Amino acid sequence: MADKILAKDQVAAFIEGLQSDRKVYAPALVGEKLVWSQVQGADDVLWDFTNTDLSPKDFFFPQTECMMRFVNDPADEKGMIMQAEPELDEERVLLNIRPCDGKAFGVLDLIFCQDDYTNDAYWRDKRDKTALIGLACNDPCPTCFCTSVGCGPHNQAGLDLLLVDLGDSFLVQVITERGEALADGLPEADAEAAAQAGELKAAAEGAITSGVATDKIAEREVLELFELPMWDRVHESCLNCGTCTFYCPTCHCFDIQDEVVGLDGRRVRNWDYCMSWLFTVHGTGHNPRPGKKERVRQRFMHKFKYIPLKRGGEIGCVGCGRCVVRCPVNIDVREVVNQMNQ
Amino acid sequence: MDNQAIAEEIRSLAKKLLADGVVDCVIGYTQGTVPMRDRPYFAYSPEEAENLTWSSFCCNNLANFARKRADKVAVVAQGCVSRSLVNHIVENQIDRDKLVVIGVPSPGMVDHNKVQAAVGAGKIITEVVEDGDDLVVKGKGFEERIARKTVLRDNCFTCVQRNPVIVDHMIGSPGDDTHGGDIDKVAAPWEKLSAEERWAAFSENFQDCIRCYACRDACPLCYCTVCFVDESNPQWCGKTQDEADVATFHILRAFHCAGRCTDCGACESACPQGIKMRRLTSKIEKDIRELYDYRPGMDPEAIPPMSVYRPDDPQDFIK
Amino acid sequence: MFARRRFAVLKNLLEYIGLEPGRLHFSWISSAEAQKFQETVKTVVEEVTALGPAKILIKDIRKVA
Repeated sequence: MADKILAKDQVAAFIEGLQSDRKVYAPALVGEKLVWSQVQGADDVLWDFTNTDLSPKDFFFPQTECMMRFVNDPADEKGMIMQAEPELDEERVLLNIRPCDGKAFGVLDLIFCQDDYTNDAYWRDKRDKTALIGLACNDPCPTCFCTSVGCGPHNQAGLDLLLVDLGDSFLVQVITERGEALADGLPEADAEAAAQAGELKAAAEGAITSGVATDKIAEREVLELFELPMWDRVHESCLNCGTCTFYCPTCHCFDIQDEVVGLDGRRVRNWDYCMSWLFTVHGTGHNPRPGKKERVRQRFMHKFKYIPLKRGGEIGCVGCGRCVVRCPVNIDVREVVNQMNQ
Repeated sequence: MDNQAIAEEIRSLAKKLLADGVVDCVIGYTQGTVPMRDRPYFAYSPEEAENLTWSSFCCNNLANFARKRADKVAVVAQGCVSRSLVNHIVENQIDRDKLVVIGVPSPGMVDHNKVQAAVGAGKIITEVVEDGDDLVVKGKGFEERIARKTVLRDNCFTCVQRNPVIVDHMIGSPGDDTHGGDIDKVAAPWEKLSAEERWAAFSENFQDCIRCYACRDACPLCYCTVCFVDESNPQWCGKTQDEADVATFHILRAFHCAGRCTDCGACESACPQGIKMRRLTSKIEKDIRELYDYRPGMDPEAIPPMSVYRPDDPQDFIK
Repeated sequence: MFARRRFAVLKNLLEYIGLEPGRLHFSWISSAEAQKFQETVKTVVEEVTALGPAKILIKDIRKVA
C-alpha cells in the first residue's frame, strides 16, 4: 500500500472528508488540559502537543459502561430478559492519536478478544467502528520511553494511517486497508518524502534517552521475580490509589456490578484498579493481596512478566510516561523495571 | 536558611539519629525523576540518609506514612505535617514515644500545575531550579523566571502555621507563621452563591474526577481499614462515573474529615486531574473553627470536636 | 448530644454543595411527645413537597447511559 502526501493547505478538506461519514475526535486544549474532544471545524485540531492527559482508552473501554438492562418482573413483557445495550451506531475516527496509544489498543485486543470464550463484544464493536489516524512524534518528551518496550515515536502498530509532519506537508503512511480507503484521493508520496520521514524517525528515536531493560525479566522465572527483596522498598511510598492504572492506556481491569432500583436494573462495568484492597478481597474476608507490597508488586509483575508470558512476548506497557508524570509520589516505572531486570 | 542548607542539616541529623540507633527509619524526601517533584523517601541507614533532600517541591504529607508502625521513626515535618502528626497522636495512631519530629519551617510549597500554566500548557518543562524568591523554569526552547509567591500552593499561601507545632529537633529558626494570604477570604467560596449556583459550582469543580482516590490515599486522615467506598455489603456509594456517585464520594469523604482536617493540601496536590479539592474541604475546616473554636492538630492533649459536646453548642437549626 | 455537632456540620456541608434550604430538617422529639411528632412530620412533608422533586444527587438508572 503506497504512502500518500497530505499538503498542509489540504488538511481542512481532508478532515471535512472524514467528517462526511464519521465522527472525528482529536486532542484539544480545553482550559489547561489536553483532552480528546469532537472536532467541529478543522481549526479545532491540535497539531503541536505532547500527548493528552488521559489516554483515549475511554473510546473503546468507557470508564462506566452499561452492558445490559433488565426488568425483574415476570409480568412485564420485557421482564426477566437481559437486554444488551445497543451497539455503537456511528463510525468514528481518532485523529492524531500517538503511536504509543495506538499500539496500546493492539495489546488490549490480545486480552479482550483472545478466543471463542473470551471475546468481548463491547470492545470489539467499538474497535471495528473506529479508525485510528496516528501522528508521529518528532519531538518526544523526557518521560517517554516507548523505544525500549517494543514501540517507538513513529511506530505503526495498531494504527490505520500514520501522519509524519514533514514541515509543509504530512507523509501519510498507509498501514491497513481501512487506512487506504481513508487516504483514497490523496496524491502518492515520492521517495524524497519517505527519506525525510526516515530521518525524522531516527532523530526522534535518538532523542529518547530514558528506557527500561527487560531482557533479564524475560529470562527469569516468575517466582524468582516475585520474591525479589526490592519489593519491600518499592511499595513504601505508594499510596495505592488508582492514578497510574486509570491514566495507563494498557491497564484494563474492571468490575461488573448490577444496580437495581425497585424492579429496574442495569449491569454496569466500571474501571477498577489492582492497587485497591477491594480488588482481590474474597467473600470470606480473606485477601490474597493483603498489603501494599503485594499489590504494588502485582502491577509491575502483571505488565512486565505475566502479560509477556501469556501474550507471546508483548509487554503490557507502551512507554507513554503518563504514570511517571501523574503519580502523586513519583514512583517511576522505569526505575522499578530496571531494578527488576538487575 | 535556604532550602539547600536545610537539606544539608536534615541529612546530617538523620545520619546521626540512625547511627545512634535513636530511630530505625527517617521519613523524608528525596529528589524525584520529574521536575518539581520531590518524593517520599525512607532512610534506614546513614548511607541511605545521604539521599534525603528538602525543597519547595515537597508536596506530600509524610504523616501518612508514620502511623501504625512497629519501628521508631523520625519524620521531617513542617507546620502542616506536624499538625497531622499531632492529629494522629490525638487519635492514637502514633505513639509519641516512638516518634521523633525533625522540625523545619516551611518555605511554602510550589504547585506544579501553576508553574505549568505560567509557562503555557503543553510546553515541556525539563528543569526547575530555586533561586531565592524566584524559580527558574527551563524547558524545550525556553527559560523563564517566575516569582515563587505567584505559584505557591493555594493552602500554603493562606497558611497560618508554617512552623511545626511539635518538634524534637528544629532545623533553622522558625519563620513568620503566615505567607500573607487570609484563609477567611478564600475558605468556602461557594457560601456566597444561591443553592442552584452552589450545586452548579460543585458539579463543575468535580467534573474531571476519575475516582482514582488519590485524594483519599494521600490524606493522612483517611486510614480506615476498610474505607466506605470499599464496602460492598452494603455498598454505600456507587462506583460509576455518574455525577451523583462522584458527588457522594466527595461529600462523605469531606464529612469524615470534619474536625480533623488541617488544610494540609495533600489532597489537592495529589489529585492528578488538578481538582480544587479545598473549595469543598475548606468549608468543613471553617465551620469547625467558627462553631466549636477548634483547630485540629494544634494540641496533642485535645479531644476531637466530633467526640465531645458542650451543653451550649449551637442548635438553632433544630426545631 | 454528640449527634448535635455532627448534624450541624452535615447540614452546613449539604447546604454548601447546593441542597436547597428547607429539604433537611432536624427536631428533638421524645417518644412521649406524640403530638409534636405528628405536627412536625406534617410540617416537614408540606415544606419538602412544596420544594418539588429533588434537583441534586439524582441517579436514575433507567435513564443514565
